[in-house]
Amino acid sequence: MSDIVLAGVSVAYDGEPVVRDLDLTVASGEWLALIGPNGAGKTTILRAIARLVSFRGEIRIGGRAVTELSSRDVARKVAVLVQEPQMPAGMTVAQYVLLGRAPHLGYLGKESSRDRRIVRDVVRRLALEELASRPLDRLSGGERQRAAIARALAQQAPVLLIDEPTSSLDVGRQQSVLELIDQLRKEQELTVIAAMHELTLAGQYADRLALLVGGRLAAIGSAAEVLTEPAIAEHYRAQVKVIQMNGSGTAVVPVRN
Amino acid sequence: MRTHQPGASAKLAVRFGVVAFLSVFFAASCGGAPTSATSTPASRFPVSITAPGGATVTIPRRPQRVVSLSPSATEMLFAMGAGPQVVAVDDQSNYPATAPKTQLSGFTPNIEAIAAFTPDLVVAAEDTAGLVHGVQALNVPILIEPAAKNLDDTYVQIKQLGAATGHAADADSLVASMRSQVGSFVASVAKPARQLRVYHELDNTYYSVTSATFIGQVYKLLGLTNIADAAAGAAPDYPQLSPEYIVASNPDLIVLADTKCCQQDLSSVAARPGWRVIVAVKSGQVVPVDDDVASRWGPRIIEFMRVVALHVQQLEKQAA
Amino acid sequence: MLSVQVGAAAVPPAVLAGMPRLRWGWAGAGLLALAASCGVGVLVGPVHIGVGTVVQTLVGGAVDPGQANILWSLRFPRVVLGVLVGGTLAIAGAAYQGVFRNPLADPYLLGAAAGANLGATLAIAFAPGTSVLGVNVVPLAAFVEGCRQDRQRSGRHHRGAETLQAPERDQRAFRPGKPAVSGAYALGRSVTGLRSATGLILAGVAIAAFFNSIQSYVQQTQTSSIRQVYSWILGRLVTAGWDDVLLILPYVLLSVVAIYLHRRLLDALTLGEDEVTSLGIPVRRVRLIVVVAATLGTAAVVAVGGTIAFVGIIVPHTIRLLVGRSYRVVIPLSVLFGAAFLVLADAAARTVVAPAELPIGVITAFLGAPFFIAVMRSTRAAAL
Repeated sequence: MSDIVLAGVSVAYDGEPVVRDLDLTVASGEWLALIGPNGAGKTTILRAIARLVSFRGEIRIGGRAVTELSSRDVARKVAVLVQEPQMPAGMTVAQYVLLGRAPHLGYLGKESSRDRRIVRDVVRRLALEELASRPLDRLSGGERQRAAIARALAQQAPVLLIDEPTSSLDVGRQQSVLELIDQLRKEQELTVIAAMHELTLAGQYADRLALLVGGRLAAIGSAAEVLTEPAIAEHYRAQVKVIQMNGSGTAVVPVRN
Repeated sequence: MRTHQPGASAKLAVRFGVVAFLSVFFAASCGGAPTSATSTPASRFPVSITAPGGATVTIPRRPQRVVSLSPSATEMLFAMGAGPQVVAVDDQSNYPATAPKTQLSGFTPNIEAIAAFTPDLVVAAEDTAGLVHGVQALNVPILIEPAAKNLDDTYVQIKQLGAATGHAADADSLVASMRSQVGSFVASVAKPARQLRVYHELDNTYYSVTSATFIGQVYKLLGLTNIADAAAGAAPDYPQLSPEYIVASNPDLIVLADTKCCQQDLSSVAARPGWRVIVAVKSGQVVPVDDDVASRWGPRIIEFMRVVALHVQQLEKQAA
Repeated sequence: MLSVQVGAAAVPPAVLAGMPRLRWGWAGAGLLALAASCGVGVLVGPVHIGVGTVVQTLVGGAVDPGQANILWSLRFPRVVLGVLVGGTLAIAGAAYQGVFRNPLADPYLLGAAAGANLGATLAIAFAPGTSVLGVNVVPLAAFVEGCRQDRQRSGRHHRGAETLQAPERDQRAFRPGKPAVSGAYALGRSVTGLRSATGLILAGVAIAAFFNSIQSYVQQTQTSSIRQVYSWILGRLVTAGWDDVLLILPYVLLSVVAIYLHRRLLDALTLGEDEVTSLGIPVRRVRLIVVVAATLGTAAVVAVGGTIAFVGIIVPHTIRLLVGRSYRVVIPLSVLFGAAFLVLADAAARTVVAPAELPIGVITAFLGAPFFIAVMRSTRAAAL
């Protein structure tokens, strides 16, 4: 099972608290969007779940505390898509995706033919087959993002943590990436937690939104519940108009007086 | 900085007068080298010396506070009896043991440190780091006696130092003695049936000397063939030889000038890979010499030559 | 959970082509190059020895004892040492480049050379020719210092602010007569927190500068030993014997094998630190092991051969340009081609101005730099 439970989680950098006493539950197969102003702690929560940063409190995945797991076990449960993945020059797509198999190999282990077949399948699924032997620095931005997603999928982890999947993408690409993630999570029954700054898109794709302010949970619920004008005005200090589009989610539109 | 004591000025003036009078007197009497063994203190000053570099140095009066920054010059000075006039020698001047060794450096001279000894003559082997300029700015005569290329250079340097310190006669007799000893060494090594080969070792990475060097000249005088000469094209003076070549050359005599720096001796040489087959190693003709003796061009070269000549005689007896 | 579609079809060529692999062609070329260079190495030298004689000597036939002596005692061990030194320097260079994600990293980056130089200078200046447990004190001091001051690196990585613990001051002066404790000391001292690559490099630069300054000072004040120190710093295999080969063989094997086993992990390290950790790879441990292994090998070969420059940079980079960037390729080929390169350079060092020797560092720089430039220009490489 891949439900995620955070209980009383606090994270501090250099003594400065960034996440304060957070309680959060994400159901298996759910897509939770973490929204909130800059510095609210969205990325930090993702890092804590992936055990990339030390925290106080408890984080459980599928009932097991992450602190009790080895880092390989964590990597088998949690795949992370960072905001700006490193794309080493000269590395081919296939090799890059193959790195995603690392959690399933021993410390000095070698990849098996099964690993290579998994890579093949993932590469095919993300329409990267023709680009498989092309070096990463010769891919477009969108292709690179797909490669990063492919690598995360190759990990075969039930939980996918994404940090800003749509930053620096144009509106068309933003939609196709999010559609892709949505399809994949339904196909593979993944639990997705994504830090997103695009409020409308967050509302359209996520099952629930968690609004974080100053390291605390200010609101959690559906898009309609969380994306309200007073909430956004208060926490983002932004003037917006919230429009409910029937069937197409909640639109948050900036307003200029 | 001179410390003026009461009455010192008067004494100084008297000394000046005597020196000036006597030097004029002796210069007038065609200033040849006196034949007496000890030179009178005030003889032949002021003296002008043309150092090997071409610079002419004038020394106004007999120096009493000589600073030597050259170990070879130090040895020469003390050998000719000028030791009492030497107030400081550099940190490498370890012979004789009575020489007043200081922290002064001949490689990186510090003008202030030199000046602190209030010298009236500075002797060095090279003009590094503006040494000459700095000492001249102190109005002190400085004599640069660079590394000798052969024994004749050494004799010239000894004589110059003798003239510079008022020991011309002693210097001459020292030179004469050295010449005669060299002559006897050369005579003692009769012409051997074949040319004997020598390998002179400077350090344990097989740096050697060619016949273009001072030490190399000594071997040449004794009629030895220096195996390093074959490498003179690559490095005219101090080539690093390939051990293959050394072994293949099969020298009859190995002289180790790295006994102090690198603790080399017969057993360490014999332990080197492939070296035991060398005839010099097999017959025990591996001669350890003091590194300093082999690297200076002072009077102790005679000792070096004596030891080498002895071994050459042994070799010739064995060959016979 | 991603269900595994174990398809019956094999992996398509495009995908397979993208997989990192050392192709047999290149491995064969490396072995061939090594064999050829060893052949050249045993055949050339200031003493002319014919091919027939060399072959006869190897198979134990009857040959002139003088020539056999030169071959067995001098030339063969020198070639073998060249293989060990060249291969180790190249693989250590590649390993450092991988660990620090810095193409300019060479085996001397962390100051192993500075430490070894200092150790050797101290030993040459103050206690030359003495032996400890049968090992000449110069290489021993070099090894100890080379290993030890690597271990003094410790970096602490705080999220958001990299802070560096000041490297521990070197309290121990070299004491002749004490048995070598470098191995135990080096491995016993745990390096806490090797998570900051930049911090390590900076500390290494600082430490190297510090040790270099001490070494220069000692050299200045012990001028009679300058020639020796100079020859040591430029590197030389001129004094090679089987003793040296046996001395460094265990360290070299350990080092090369350890780094070889980590080649896949070095590929993974090219991702960001967070990403590598999120893949379940223990970054700190990998860095520690690779750095220790590379340092051990480097210190050992530097102890017998001095600090031969260029091999650790030129060889791995040339392989990256010619063959590929994956460490699965770079690591094994670096060993083979690095060994070949150094054996050839050493052969040149003892024949170009025969019967004199050139310091091998001069040759490696002279040969390596233009070759590298030529390769770079002809293959229009991606930015390094």
